[in-house]
Amino acid sequence: MAEAHPVGFRWVMKAKERGATIIHVDPRFSRTSALADIWVPMRAGGDIAFLGGLVRHIIENNLFFRDYVVPFTNASCILREDFRDTEEGATGFFSGWNERERTYDKKTWAYHGDGGLSFPERDLTLQHPRCVFQTLRRHFVRYTPEMVEKICGISPALFHKVADALVAASGPDKTAAICYALGWTQHSKGVQIIRTASILQLLLGNIGRPGGGIMALRGHASIQGSTDIPTLYDILPGYISMPKGDGTEETLRDYLAHQTKPTGLWNNYPNYFISLLKAYYGKNATAENDFGYNWVPKITGNHSFFEYLYDMADGKMEGMFMMGQNPAVAAANSRFQRTSLSKLKWLVVREMVEIEAATFWRSDAPEIERGELKTEDIETEVFLFPAAGHAEKEGAFTQTQRMLQWRQKAVDPPGDARSEGWFMHQLALRLIAKAKQSNDTLDEPLRALDWWYPEDELGEPQMESVLAEINGWSTNPQPGADGVVFGGVDREGNSHHGPQVDGFGKLKADGSTASGCWIYSGVLGPDKINKANSRNSKNYLGHGWGFVWPADRRIIYNRASAKPTGEPWSERKKLVWWDPAQRKWDGIDVPDFVPDKSPEFRPSGNESGLDAIPGDAPFMLHEDGLGWLYVPSGLQDGPMPTHYEPLESPVKNALYSRDTNPVVNWFTRQENRFAPPGDTRFPFVLTTYRLTEHHTAGGMSRFLSHLAELQPELFAEMSPELAVELKIKNGDYISIVSLRGAIESRALVSRRMRPVHLNGKTVHQIAMPFHFGTAGPVKGGSTNDLVPISGEPNVTIMEAKALACNIVPGRLPRGPAYEEWIKKYIPQGGPPNLHPEQPPPGASPGPEAGGHGQHGKTDSR
Amino acid sequence: MIGEGIKSTNQRKHSYVQDRVEVGFFTDPSVCIGCKACEVACKEWNQVPDDGFTWSGNSYDNTGHLGASTWRHVMFLEQDRQKGNQVTGPMGLGNADSEDPFRWVFLSDVCKHCEEAGCLEACPTGSIVRTEVGSVLVQNDVCNGCGYCVVSCPFGVIDRRPEPLHDAGGAFKCTFCYDRQKSGLVPACAKVCPTESIVFGRLDDLRVRASERVKHLQQSGYSDAQLYDPTETSVRGIHAFFLILGEPEAYGLPPRPQVPTIYLKSAWMSAFATAIASIIATLLAFAFFS
Amino acid sequence: MTGNTPSEKRLEELREQAWKDGVVPGKGVDVAGGPIPHKPGYYGQAVVKPPVWTWQVPLYFFFGGIAGMSAVLASGAVLFHHVDLARAAMWIAAIAGAILSPILLIMDLGRPRLFLNMLRVFKHRSAMSMGAWILSLFGACVVPGLVALELHSHHILAGTLGQLIRIAAGLLIFGSAIFGTLLATYTGVLLGATAIPAWFLHRTLLPIHFGTAGLGSAAGLLELLGHRISALNVIGFYAAAVESALLIWLSVNKHGAADRAIHEHGTGWLIRIGEILNGPLAIVLRFFGLVPFAAIAFLLGALVSRVGWIMVGKVSGSDPEAVFASQR
Ligand SMILES: Nc1nc2c(c(=O)[nH]1)N[C@H]1C(S)=C(S)[C@@H](COP(=O)(O)OP(=O)(O)OC[C@H]3O[C@@H](n4cnc5c(=O)[nH]c(N)nc54)[C@H](O)[C@@H]3O)O[C@H]1N2
Ligand SMILES: Nc1nc2c(c(=O)[nH]1)N[C@H]1C(S)=C(S)[C@@H](COP(=O)(O)OP(=O)(O)OC[C@H]3O[C@@H](n4cnc5c(=O)[nH]c(N)nc54)[C@H](O)[C@@H]3O)O[C@H]1N2
Ligand code: SF4
Ligand code: SF4
Ligand code: SF4
Ligand code: SF4
Ligand code: SF4
Ligand SMILES: [Mo]
Repeated sequence: MAEAHPVGFRWVMKAKERGATIIHVDPRFSRTSALADIWVPMRAGGDIAFLGGLVRHIIENNLFFRDYVVPFTNASCILREDFRDTEEGATGFFSGWNERERTYDKKTWAYHGDGGLSFPERDLTLQHPRCVFQTLRRHFVRYTPEMVEKICGISPALFHKVADALVAASGPDKTAAICYALGWTQHSKGVQIIRTASILQLLLGNIGRPGGGIMALRGHASIQGSTDIPTLYDILPGYISMPKGDGTEETLRDYLAHQTKPTGLWNNYPNYFISLLKAYYGKNATAENDFGYNWVPKITGNHSFFEYLYDMADGKMEGMFMMGQNPAVAAANSRFQRTSLSKLKWLVVREMVEIEAATFWRSDAPEIERGELKTEDIETEVFLFPAAGHAEKEGAFTQTQRMLQWRQKAVDPPGDARSEGWFMHQLALRLIAKAKQSNDTLDEPLRALDWWYPEDELGEPQMESVLAEINGWSTNPQPGADGVVFGGVDREGNSHHGPQVDGFGKLKADGSTASGCWIYSGVLGPDKINKANSRNSKNYLGHGWGFVWPADRRIIYNRASAKPTGEPWSERKKLVWWDPAQRKWDGIDVPDFVPDKSPEFRPSGNESGLDAIPGDAPFMLHEDGLGWLYVPSGLQDGPMPTHYEPLESPVKNALYSRDTNPVVNWFTRQENRFAPPGDTRFPFVLTTYRLTEHHTAGGMSRFLSHLAELQPELFAEMSPELAVELKIKNGDYISIVSLRGAIESRALVSRRMRPVHLNGKTVHQIAMPFHFGTAGPVKGGSTNDLVPISGEPNVTIMEAKALACNIVPGRLPRGPAYEEWIKKYIPQGGPPNLHPEQPPPGASPGPEAGGHGQHGKTDSR
Repeated sequence: MIGEGIKSTNQRKHSYVQDRVEVGFFTDPSVCIGCKACEVACKEWNQVPDDGFTWSGNSYDNTGHLGASTWRHVMFLEQDRQKGNQVTGPMGLGNADSEDPFRWVFLSDVCKHCEEAGCLEACPTGSIVRTEVGSVLVQNDVCNGCGYCVVSCPFGVIDRRPEPLHDAGGAFKCTFCYDRQKSGLVPACAKVCPTESIVFGRLDDLRVRASERVKHLQQSGYSDAQLYDPTETSVRGIHAFFLILGEPEAYGLPPRPQVPTIYLKSAWMSAFATAIASIIATLLAFAFFS
Repeated sequence: MTGNTPSEKRLEELREQAWKDGVVPGKGVDVAGGPIPHKPGYYGQAVVKPPVWTWQVPLYFFFGGIAGMSAVLASGAVLFHHVDLARAAMWIAAIAGAILSPILLIMDLGRPRLFLNMLRVFKHRSAMSMGAWILSLFGACVVPGLVALELHSHHILAGTLGQLIRIAAGLLIFGSAIFGTLLATYTGVLLGATAIPAWFLHRTLLPIHFGTAGLGSAAGLLELLGHRISALNVIGFYAAAVESALLIWLSVNKHGAADRAIHEHGTGWLIRIGEILNGPLAIVLRFFGLVPFAAIAFLLGALVSRVGWIMVGKVSGSDPEAVFASQR
């Protein structure tokens, strides 16, 4: 965190100064470790085993927060008889496995009985053999400290230090927080690692309480924003699922029936979705035409970044817009990325500098240098547009804590440089104009678009007008009425919208309201104040500074900060509470609960929506209002986390006969091969990371001399032990080889890297930053040339944190000589699926991820 | 204290220059995260040129040392010692299969703004002056690049900028952001420091704060925490002083720095003696051997 | 830019070697603790900064010394009526002190166009400032002094005016002598009063060495120009004797790591050769009456040791252990 979120890390340091114990779990001793109280080195990819070990420790020694766990979580829910755990026969498979489809039939994972997810049967004594608690116990019983050592190389002594610190920091008047980022997400089981942390925090009662929780440290400045208002293929703004094209969601009715949950907050799905359609199509969206549902594109498959990369490679993709991305360096298997880009007919790149993704065809690109590609054979027409940087345009960033913060424009962009907003706006205006000329039905969605945004003198759309639409308004125009922004008129001056709505509670499914993203509703309400831009915090939660969705709630699920009966768990940790006098919820934070629902309330069993949620069930987004220790629905790879080895691993799975996550998408292809377990040609574990001094693919750092000079060259961190073994000296040039390719770097020898001892086998790990490429003042190999493309089954993220590699001392030959050299180290030809658990080409890729939707609100960037 | 926001002396506006208050830096490696923001902010604000893209292999330090084009330098020390009570994986666990201890220490080095400044004393052009806030400032437009300050700084801070860099030939070092301070702003490096490892403020306050910090650290396991502020040598103390873990030598800091002017007396004595001796010898030679 | 170990050059070799035979033995980069230091110091970085001065400075020291001490000889000469010798000496003083020295000094500046700023202030605590003033005042005496002497010796003016010229010449020559001795010796102070261990540890020796070297060089130069009088020979003996004494002192008064630059490596040799040339060797040659050779040896020695001392400064200034040792 000190490395990649240095400014945020100041708060960790403040906590430390005030007595908090900082524990850092990382294969490398990083700048974060240097400031931590306990550094726990582990073999990359072992996190589920480690966290599972902690779960077991807490359950077996009865250290969990019973008063919290029993009422607030689904520990007491009874599961079906026919559910089978991975433990039975230690196969590593749950019940419902379909080998041909390579997916699970998840029927058996559900709750027992016909209450469905909404009204599960519960045994509050947690004794029932089929209750979640007992099932969970059995699931993790083999995750002993000794097993943790076997898998992660963490000694029991160290393990207990961590366990004790964690338990000591949790309870009625204490809380512990968990922060994670790519060390957990970029794995073939990333979502399940985070799930294990959730289980841990629920057991310790650390969710929905001040100082607790699980914080995803996000990536690019507004990457949280780009999942809320997604740049993802499978969801629409506010985690609304993208309609499917497989026939199951032909009509609006089918779609809503499919998506609307009987109980819980998602029961209001229609309000949010119809309001979104009204925002898209304005007056053109009517009850008669299903509010334009037919105009919304339907997805026909996994259109994730990697899927369309393959289409690109196979020439199935004509052209591409690339804005704020540099896959030629940053995307997994960047070598394959570059060659695939060369198959495009046209490519639009909007950039501030001339990045590798715009120069893959030039002589300095490795493929050209090596003669694998010839510039004259590449037909791609590259349009490089000058982009305005973040200081040269206004708008909102949404950060890690779900907080929207408005950003003023510091200076006008230079020359022709313009913002994305401008580009999209101008493009839309032109396309709509064209569509209006044609009468092709395919152009109807364009014709129907409600493009009302006012412009500034540079032709930039006024960003606050977009924010106003996102917040939402009443659709019937009331000129002059208060609460109306931008005069309530469109570009032509025709009356367009009514007063702003005051939060998503006011959104309707009858077309009377519009909202571009329901979860943001309230950010620019009837008071016309852009709350993202407010800058005076009134309390330690920061109310009054920015706007945190939903409803400026700083800590989500905060009902859990009060006992089932409604009073705070402790004075020290009070946050929200039930005020019996007023008969309403009150507190320092905005209560995340139905304001007047008393703690005693119990549903009869036939309510719908939020009325079905008991007064002591804080997790309103779930149908049963409970915190899910066990996930009865929504995940592709199992209801409980299970340790699988990374797709490329130096060892076999010590816990199960199955090595890897069964439902992972291997993206099998010649250019994208994986080494089998314990492959002696690739004996070392490679993990990748970022440096404080650089930013991702380097467009914003390698090109700036004051940053570039701080880390001017690619290096690989390795332990002195490994260096001695390979006769490498600090500073030497070395070549790192994987089944995808080879790159050159310097060796940075340091005790910050430690060999791990797994079950008697010594495993060496090396770590490399991935910031370098062939453009700009400082150049270097792209680490991603080594990384395979793979798809975690829920969110399709690549496994970039645990691979197998080989190290060859000395420089990597450049130019054509490379071909000869590489042949010595990686086998040519043969089948593309070298890993025994990897399906042959053509086999089912596994489930369609789509986990970004209302189910697994997970994103890994 | 970290995260005080605009209440912190690192953030709030001030009038130290107008009030002629002595200011200083207290730099504390025990909270430094090695982010180098100070280095970058310094170069950005003062438009110091980059001075080469050389990878050093010395931990994460590719800057090397202070100089004409490096006025802030974050050091990265990898040592086989324990930092406080830190547990670093298998290292220093203290049990049977425990390895040698290990720690990674970051310290942001800067011109010390000496009480008795060698550079200032040495400067023949009067280019180096003492400002209202007690800092030592090089006036770039006066400096003629004689290079005498370079050999007169006991801390090897100031240096003459080589060609072909912009503004070559003159001597440069930290200005203590005198330009910023004049208009009530905090020095760029302190302003951006996320953990307040660099603390800017009144010298007297800082000295108190520092001694308390050392006490606190020593009580919480940092047995080798000490102040680096050579008040007992002829330098008579530095305005940018440091808390260090372990020995000064490890940070490339001179253990007992002296301001070179203390050598003047004896040197001039022997100069005069030589002068007189030469004259006498000459006269005698001519007197008796012509 | 980092003057670090391993140096870029060293690494280039390593890479080539690594590429050839996969293994790189030998020092320069240290695997076993990785970058964990085994010597005191920070990755071998210099603690103080070595001098930035280049070839101009030792030359300046050399000519400044000759110029200053020539003025002394000139005054001796006038006192005892060796007018031709006096004139020659004054010519040398003027050319070396009022022309060569300033040119060299200015050439060495990072910003020569600002050389006049040297006279912006008068700082007695700055040897460089004092030097600037001494050189200027020396020039201010030696040039008119030479003119006056020439006018006088060619009897261009007669009568009271002639008398006045004679007195002026006398005063100016003595003035030059006074500033001359300082010009020849302050350079020792200049190096002695710095943070460079090998220099400040020998701050008492340096002025004696530089001053006497100047005296001997001046005498030697005059002798080479044909002024073979015994007075100069005696002075030659005296200077060589003093230098020999310094050679002994230097070899006795050692400070271990702190001033090892004087005794080790190339720089050590430069110092030794210089001292031997203008110490023992000069004496021996004079003893056998080989005066011209003695003069040449001494002049060479004076030049070599000036170069030597600047190089010593560079080595010593870049040597962290020297700094630490000098402070323990
Ligand atoms: N300076 C800087 N800041 C950035 C960025 C940048 O490029 N530069 N990028 C931004 C972006 S886009 C993002 S997504 C975030 C990412 O922020 P981080 O996730 O912090 O970045 P990483 O360095 O990729 O990974 C974090 C750590 O995971 C460790 N790790 C590797 N494998 C494992 C494992 O199996 N288990 C565990 N427990 N740890 C492992 C790595 O050693 C590394 O130290 O940073 C953001 N901030
Ligand atoms: N091996 C490995 N690979 C990784 C990771 C890893 O940890 N290991 N991390 C992954 C992660 S988390 C991420 S987020 C990706 C990042 O991968 P990318 O997003 O592809 O890389 P960036 O360099 O962040 O690309 C951002 C580009 O946008 C440009 N830019 C900046 N501001 C603007 C703007 O306002 N408008 C426009 N049009 N352009 C702008 C920048 O110049 C830069 O070139 O890398 C991924 N790749
Ligand atoms: S770049 Fe921005 S987000 Fe990242 S650490 Fe710095 S301030 Fe925080
Ligand atoms: S900015 Fe502060 S924390 Fe970052 S390196 Fe500099 S001193 Fe350390
Ligand atoms: S540290 Fe050096 S440069 Fe800075 S004031 Fe002291 S003597 Fe001058
Ligand atoms: S180099 Fe400039 S600042 Fe340094 S002493 Fe000479 S004139 Fe003064
Ligand atoms: S005070 Fe100013 S000049 Fe000095 S180091 Fe800090 S930023 Fe640079
Ligand atoms: Mo990211």
